[in-house]
Amino acid sequence: MTTYIIRRLLYMIPVIFGVSFIIFVLFNVVAGDPAPLLLGKHATAQQIHDLREQLGLNKPLFAQYMDVVKSAFTFDFGRSWATRQDIIEMIRQGAWPSLTLTIPAFMISTVLSILLSLVVAFYRGKGIDLTIRFLCIAGQSISSVAYILFFQYFFAYKLGWFEISGYEPEFPMFLSYVALPGIIWIVLSLGPDVRFFRTVILDEIYQDYVRTARAKGLGEITVLLKHVLRNAMIPIITYVVIQIPFLILGALLLESFFSIPGLGGITLNALNSSDFPVIKAMAVLSSIAYILFSLLTDVLYTLADPRVKLK
Amino acid sequence: MSTQDTKSLWADAFSRLIRDRWALISLVIVIVYAGIAVLATIGWGLPDWKTSQASEYLPPSAQFWLGTDLFGRDVFAKVIHGTKIAMSVGLVTSLIAIPIGVFIGAIAGYFGGWIDDIISWFITTFSSIPNIMLLISITLIMGKGLVSVYLALGITGWVGLARLIRGEVMKHKEREYVHAASAIGGGHFRKLFIHILPNVTHLVIINTSLQFQTAIKSEVILSYLGLGVQGEPSWGTMIDDARQELARGVWWQLAGATFAMFLVVLAFNLLGDALRDSLDPKLKGK
Amino acid sequence: MDRPLLSIKNLTVDFITPDASMRAVDNMSFDVPAGKTVGIVGESGSGKSVTSLAIMRLLPQPPAHISGQILFDGTDLLTLPDDQMRKIRGDKIAMIFQEPMTSLNPVFKTGAQVAETLMLHRGMDKKTAWEKTIDLFNEVGIPNPSQKVHAYPHEMSGGQKQRVMIAMAIACDPKLLICDEPTTALDVTIQKQVLELLKGLQEKHKMSMLFITHDLGVIADVADDVVVMYRSKMVEKDKTRAIFESSKHPYTKGLIACRPDMGANPKRLLTVSDFMDEAGNGLKVTRDRVQVFEKDYEAKNGNDILLEVKDIHTHFPIKGGLFGRKVGEVKAVDGVSFQLKRGKTLGLVGESGCGKTTLGRTILRLVEPTSGSIIYDGKDVTKMGQEEMRLLRRKMQIIFQDPYSSLNPRMTVGEILTEPLVVHGLGGGKKERLDAAKALMEKVGMKANQLNRYPHEFSGGQRQRICIARALMLRPEFVICDESVSALDVSIQAQVLNLLLDLQQEFKLTYIFISHDLGVVNFISDEVGVMNKGVLVEMDRADRIYKNPREEYTKQLLGAIPKGLPKNIEAFIS
Repeated sequence: MTTYIIRRLLYMIPVIFGVSFIIFVLFNVVAGDPAPLLLGKHATAQQIHDLREQLGLNKPLFAQYMDVVKSAFTFDFGRSWATRQDIIEMIRQGAWPSLTLTIPAFMISTVLSILLSLVVAFYRGKGIDLTIRFLCIAGQSISSVAYILFFQYFFAYKLGWFEISGYEPEFPMFLSYVALPGIIWIVLSLGPDVRFFRTVILDEIYQDYVRTARAKGLGEITVLLKHVLRNAMIPIITYVVIQIPFLILGALLLESFFSIPGLGGITLNALNSSDFPVIKAMAVLSSIAYILFSLLTDVLYTLADPRVKLK
Repeated sequence: MSTQDTKSLWADAFSRLIRDRWALISLVIVIVYAGIAVLATIGWGLPDWKTSQASEYLPPSAQFWLGTDLFGRDVFAKVIHGTKIAMSVGLVTSLIAIPIGVFIGAIAGYFGGWIDDIISWFITTFSSIPNIMLLISITLIMGKGLVSVYLALGITGWVGLARLIRGEVMKHKEREYVHAASAIGGGHFRKLFIHILPNVTHLVIINTSLQFQTAIKSEVILSYLGLGVQGEPSWGTMIDDARQELARGVWWQLAGATFAMFLVVLAFNLLGDALRDSLDPKLKGK
Repeated sequence: MDRPLLSIKNLTVDFITPDASMRAVDNMSFDVPAGKTVGIVGESGSGKSVTSLAIMRLLPQPPAHISGQILFDGTDLLTLPDDQMRKIRGDKIAMIFQEPMTSLNPVFKTGAQVAETLMLHRGMDKKTAWEKTIDLFNEVGIPNPSQKVHAYPHEMSGGQKQRVMIAMAIACDPKLLICDEPTTALDVTIQKQVLELLKGLQEKHKMSMLFITHDLGVIADVADDVVVMYRSKMVEKDKTRAIFESSKHPYTKGLIACRPDMGANPKRLLTVSDFMDEAGNGLKVTRDRVQVFEKDYEAKNGNDILLEVKDIHTHFPIKGGLFGRKVGEVKAVDGVSFQLKRGKTLGLVGESGCGKTTLGRTILRLVEPTSGSIIYDGKDVTKMGQEEMRLLRRKMQIIFQDPYSSLNPRMTVGEILTEPLVVHGLGGGKKERLDAAKALMEKVGMKANQLNRYPHEFSGGQRQRICIARALMLRPEFVICDESVSALDVSIQAQVLNLLLDLQQEFKLTYIFISHDLGVVNFISDEVGVMNKGVLVEMDRADRIYKNPREEYTKQLLGAIPKGLPKNIEAFIS
């Protein structure tokens, strides 16, 4: 077990090098020279040279690559081009609003999806199953942007049930701001989640051990909740945990729509002002989060499934 | 037994597919959309969307089924023309993502060893960067426009397929029919391309329907982020326009584009499920 | 006589789906008396398992539609409400399934799964139930029961898992125990132990047993009465001895006669079709068809040695540790040497995991050997380059076990059969190649006009014939049959064995015949090698191995085979 974790931790190093390489290629090789863009049309050659020097763009390419790699380990991403703020500080401030929105929404949608998929699996093939499945597919077929527009217009603007936009960081206050985007998040997640969980549960229902459980005289609900769910939890845990890094990234669209000053909002502002270092930092950080959580997934997998003995 | 009623697995799957009423309806919808997209590309027989025909923001009427936009253009015509962008995004990104995914996945799964180690590292690396960050980065760097959207969605789309094909090829490599091909003296090329790949092609077909949905939905998000298509109507830009319009009670652009998109994505979704049921030999008879 | 414990009357089961309907069980009636064992014997798809699941009411309805009566202790189980039926299941009637590997829930401890039954039906608290579970583990012969109750299924061997299933089944002292092919997935030595355990438990607990199997040897060992099923109908029921000695139905006769014996056998095995035509009418069997055949062990095609294997080792690395280094190895084949004469058949027998399949694949270099040499017709196969090896493949072929996975499902039979010729650039043009395929199709007992069909359109036996035809397309001189008849029903198996013998004669083939079934190997082989743990334990002429085994392991293996009852050859001749 420990050997496995150490091996997986070591494997992170080449992956971080690889991620850094992709980001380096995109921003330092393909993107071209940002200096004229930043200084405007009337900049002199000397000004451009100075700025390039200051941004480290006159270094050889390999040194520029190593800068990206270094930032992945030190979390020192320099300063934003647009706001001149320290980027890691910006991210630290943005994390709280993002998490107040995503964590509750994520937890509610996961629990709700599992419950719904159990109901659907119990009534498999019957009317209720077909209806919920069709609603999930139909719900998934509508653009997320359309959901956001419609919900904001209808529930906040028309009915006035929720704040239209904005944010306050203190405890009960933020609830009124994150409630509507949170609901939209849940609605958006239900479709794919219920469909996936249903498939996983039904995969288990046709296994031989389920027949054994029925042959013992157990009722259908006990079979489902005890024997089937316990096995289905293994893929479900994997699916759920691997989504957590995206919570940290924040709900990009939701935050910008509802003017929540989270990480998603920061990313989008950076996008609009071509603020390369911030985008780079977000890409590096979210990748590292992803790598860490995929490690966590594998570890949880071994705890949930006694068959897997990691060596 | 006569020799006429013989059926390959493909023919068998197809006949099962069209017996499913919903799948058949979905297939027809997809074909109609594709037809409209072709007509829009060659510029023939579709209503005019470019010229201003009336005053701004007219509500839906007998003349303008979905009203007019800010410039007095026919929204219904715009929705129809938007089909072209949507379908082309699906098609081009599939053409980019699927060959890459199949090739990389098949090579890794078939050869294993250090080749697999390197490719798996590459796949892990690529999938570690959240898709949305890659999309944003690529379109930001490549500049706005359709080509960036194609490239960004194509480059992000292959990873899942590669992983799927890799696993499936690994499984098939150990099946006895592949060992039998070795025993008659078949080489790597024959085993991989003539024996194994035709047996994983159904995954490619299922994945294509998925790739189309993802591409069409992502185009909307990129357009909303201001990174999308310029100078041509697309459902994404129409939905993006609706941000300013809704407060003024102008709902028809949003409704038209959303519904047009809903219908085709739903069709791809149902078709994808039906394809999975009819093509996957494992599910046969369940 | 007392009322029988279980009485089945006019049981009919249909599976009705929107696409098709199929009758799985057709008007069955039989009784299981208290304290007795009734065996149901039949081939795959005959409806025997469906019958057992119908008794337990474990068939999903729909698609299943069940009619008739299943009287258990006088109550009709088919009319019982669901909650009443649940009280009977696992308590009064218990069941053991075929696949011990998948029948236990992988994420719960085995002890917990047994205790669950006790807590459910006996209302025991957790502590009492666990104590009782340890007693039960002890009773079914699991060593260290107080520790093993904490083991997960994957930490046990197949035989132990089946013992856990048995412990679970007998936990509540059921009156009726249904065993659905309980030993089919197990090795023969384990099978013997499990059968003895079941018989012992039956006597001790005075249970009735309904024992379902395809294996006549097993049924003769355990059952008092036998019910024979064929194509969803019951064709015969009688006392076990009567079935074996004087069966009335031609199908039963065929089933008994087609099983290769451990002792003497006819030159060609009898098959069901010798006794019964398609319509089910009995046929006459002449005396010469049952005449015992003495093998000619010496001269067939001279005595030159075609294949010599010298101290061959095939090891697979086990990777582990921090950087995936090799931390150990599985010695699948661990120093095997033998010689095989041209035109003869070497049978390789052994239990699962003994290395016989790896040995076969190593000889063909489908798996690379770790060390040793394989001399084929004077040349060392292990030292051949790619091109030389490719050319040699024309002479050496293999027929695999699983007729379902050994044919590419996306290719027509014609493409499959001509492929070897295409690969080697032989056989002229497309038409000539197809003609060659047609000719061989007829040789293996198929129709020449089936070449444009796909594998899924054929039955298992037919597919195996196609595999044989494919192996013969290159006109090889040496063929390895790797468990080639093991997946087939016994009546189909006899046909394929006869076919292999005919082809051997016609094409002057040399065989290595790999199988776990000692009866089959005895019938087809001139020499027999017994393998265990990667090593060839003993090798000798077939008759000598079976009559005078020298090694302890061989004796053990031979002793474990269910002997069944002697065939009454005279009864087969009409």
